[in-house]
Amino acid sequence: MAVIEVKNLKFIYPTQSAPAIDDISFSVEESEFIVVCGKSGCGKSTLLRHLKKNMMPYGVMEGEVLFEGTDLKILDDRESASAIGFVQQNPDNQLVTDKVWHELAFGLESLGLDNQTIKRRVAEMASYFDIQTWFRQDVASLSGGQKQLLNLASIMAMQPRVLILDEPTSQLDPIAASEFLRTVYKINRDLGVTVIISEHRLEELIPMADRIMVMDKGRIVALDSPRNIGTFLEEGNHPMFYGLPGVMKIYAKAVKKGLKPNVIDGEELAPITIREGRLWLEKILGKPSRTIPETAKDNAPKTEPEGETVIKAKDVFYRYSKDSGDVLRDLNFDMKKGELLCILGGNGSGKSTTLKAISSLIKPQRGKIEVKGRQAMLPQNPQALFTEITCEEELLEALHYTKISDKEKVDAVNDMLELMEISHLRKSHPYDLSGGEQQRLALGKILLLKPEILLLDEPTKGLDPFFKLTLAEILHKLNRDGVSILMVSHDIEFCAEFADRCAMFFDGGVISTGTPHEFFEGNSFYTTSSNRMARQWFPRAITWEEVAACLT
Amino acid sequence: MFSTDPYFVLVTLIFAWAYSFMLKGKKSLRQNILLTLPILIIMTAVNTIFVHNGATILFYISDLRITLEALLFGLVSAMILSSVIIWFSCFSVIMTSDKLIYIFGKARPVMGLTLSMVFRFIPLLRERFNEIRLGQKAMGREEEQHFFGKVRQFVKELSILISWSLESSIETADSMEARGYGLKRRTSFHLFRLMDRDKLMMAIFIACGAVLITALIMGLTDIYYYPIIVLDKWSPLKAIAFIVYVIMLVIPVVMDLDIKKKWQLSK
Repeated sequence: MAVIEVKNLKFIYPTQSAPAIDDISFSVEESEFIVVCGKSGCGKSTLLRHLKKNMMPYGVMEGEVLFEGTDLKILDDRESASAIGFVQQNPDNQLVTDKVWHELAFGLESLGLDNQTIKRRVAEMASYFDIQTWFRQDVASLSGGQKQLLNLASIMAMQPRVLILDEPTSQLDPIAASEFLRTVYKINRDLGVTVIISEHRLEELIPMADRIMVMDKGRIVALDSPRNIGTFLEEGNHPMFYGLPGVMKIYAKAVKKGLKPNVIDGEELAPITIREGRLWLEKILGKPSRTIPETAKDNAPKTEPEGETVIKAKDVFYRYSKDSGDVLRDLNFDMKKGELLCILGGNGSGKSTTLKAISSLIKPQRGKIEVKGRQAMLPQNPQALFTEITCEEELLEALHYTKISDKEKVDAVNDMLELMEISHLRKSHPYDLSGGEQQRLALGKILLLKPEILLLDEPTKGLDPFFKLTLAEILHKLNRDGVSILMVSHDIEFCAEFADRCAMFFDGGVISTGTPHEFFEGNSFYTTSSNRMARQWFPRAITWEEVAACLT
Repeated sequence: MFSTDPYFVLVTLIFAWAYSFMLKGKKSLRQNILLTLPILIIMTAVNTIFVHNGATILFYISDLRITLEALLFGLVSAMILSSVIIWFSCFSVIMTSDKLIYIFGKARPVMGLTLSMVFRFIPLLRERFNEIRLGQKAMGREEEQHFFGKVRQFVKELSILISWSLESSIETADSMEARGYGLKRRTSFHLFRLMDRDKLMMAIFIACGAVLITALIMGLTDIYYYPIIVLDKWSPLKAIAFIVYVIMLVIPVVMDLDIKKKWQLSK
């Protein structure tokens, strides 16, 4: 029997005319692992929320959702709370209590279990999720990844049979995200819990999934096994194609361009992991030559960037307090006018501190940072900037101190709404926008200050792959207008595709810089997935498009 | 607090100092002096200057009678106030948030939970406010020089904080409901266990408390300051009450000393 069965579900939000979910039917089998993907605003979250009784949004609903044969609407509250677990996006907002152990016990307290039972279950969960070491800590002292893991553990303590996750890793860095997803996978394999998860980051999820559901405008476009989904999306020229892992995109493009499909034992087997991708390449291209590719050597000629220097950091040292270690250590780099410079590097390597030093929020103890031109910084959380009740007023607020006539202000705001493609949302409340739209609004607000240097802190965090393309376009447009952009990011794929130069940040300083090609060809682990897969054959190809072009 | 008997007040103050030294070490001395000295001086001075009751006249300042009784009463009340403050500072070290939550949760689970949420919110708000400040600074705001500009900027930052927090608390509410908040018969989980040692302590304190309350009702610790100081003579009963009181004050200090000694021996 299907665990969850959705029959002709249709849903319209109040005051809206278009349905958010338009006649959807599907069923989920016991212990299945389903990944839901689609552009932001395609109805993913709305659909997931319909799968749990207490989370159903308010509005007009038609059709029915059955959980193990019972209509969700008449399902017992107690049963619904414990049998279906729901993890949301933001790690911070889901935490209720102040201590880790209390958070783990929260759901069990609601169920009214006695102290001894709760203690045993909490102990079990803490051991399974390996959180004994921070069991008695304050939740405020945890990292984002730990917080999200705690949210998951505290739901698992209620022993749900179905786990629903709505973009759980969008606020996490890649390492924390992959640890989280592996834990979800482990829960699915070890305990047989049915998992339904929506995500933008498909690289890691696709090999775990039994089926992928692609949604668009409130409908299901595809619901199929991971191996079939690549070709399908490529054929339909669907925007979600860009969200697929590099391997799948390369394969789908290559097959379309006339390469033979990968047939194993008489069945087409589209590669979905880098390992499978390599095996496939070896089959069609033969064994790679064992010699080290020419360009991977250190003496590769470096192109010196040209143009006027707008930021110059020289021998910068900084520490937060007298006794702590140096956060910035011997930091040297320069940025040219009108370029897009991406700083990549792990957590805690001092990337964000560098941004603070540039915008003189902190003062280095040694060394000098020269900045030529007006600068503005976009914080990681766009909410930190919002003060008004509509988008247009929000933008107008940015011009509060600018001494120009009202007419000019209104014109500037209108132009910015156009540029950011949010004119249709001008009367909406900033908090009603989706993550990507909020990001655009915040960026627009910053840009109205007419900065010559723009500092971005993780701008691609939580964005869907489709909007990333739009963001890249906006950034390039600004570059052409002479704005220099410094971006700190974890997003290797984005930087490889769109940056003018990339810089590797490690141990408090920039250790290598170069154009994306110079930069990633020299790395062997810290590089794009397409490059990792195909580097032995095509060391110069970094992005999936380049690899695909090499193949055909 | 219930008696202004100078002997009782004096031992309370002494042990308050001793215990706060045990808990917080050397820095407590400085803190306590800074805290209690002004109280002692101000309260004594105010009482002596403004209260003219009392028979024993020390001297006159112009027309004001300065009496010994007013001086002593001021001194004793100042000592009471400072010991209360110091004992409370010890209380806040001992009673961490989870103990408070446990106690309130025993009374009503919802109360414990509410407290816990408050303790969760304080650092969260602080963190968010810092982020807002940085964001505003990076926008070139916060460079207002004059007073009204600064106030306006502060109010703006506060309003961002409030709308951000209200908005995100909707998600918190969702997460609570998703985990069954609102179902009937909620319990309150805790990590504490009532050990024999705790029961013993409780018995001792209840017994001591009973003795002292009886003494208080019997009027053993009564004292009159005006117009002349009338203090009950030391009777065997009063001596017992006094000893019991000292025992109560000594217990926490001795317990801490005992632990310290065990630590040293175990090294």
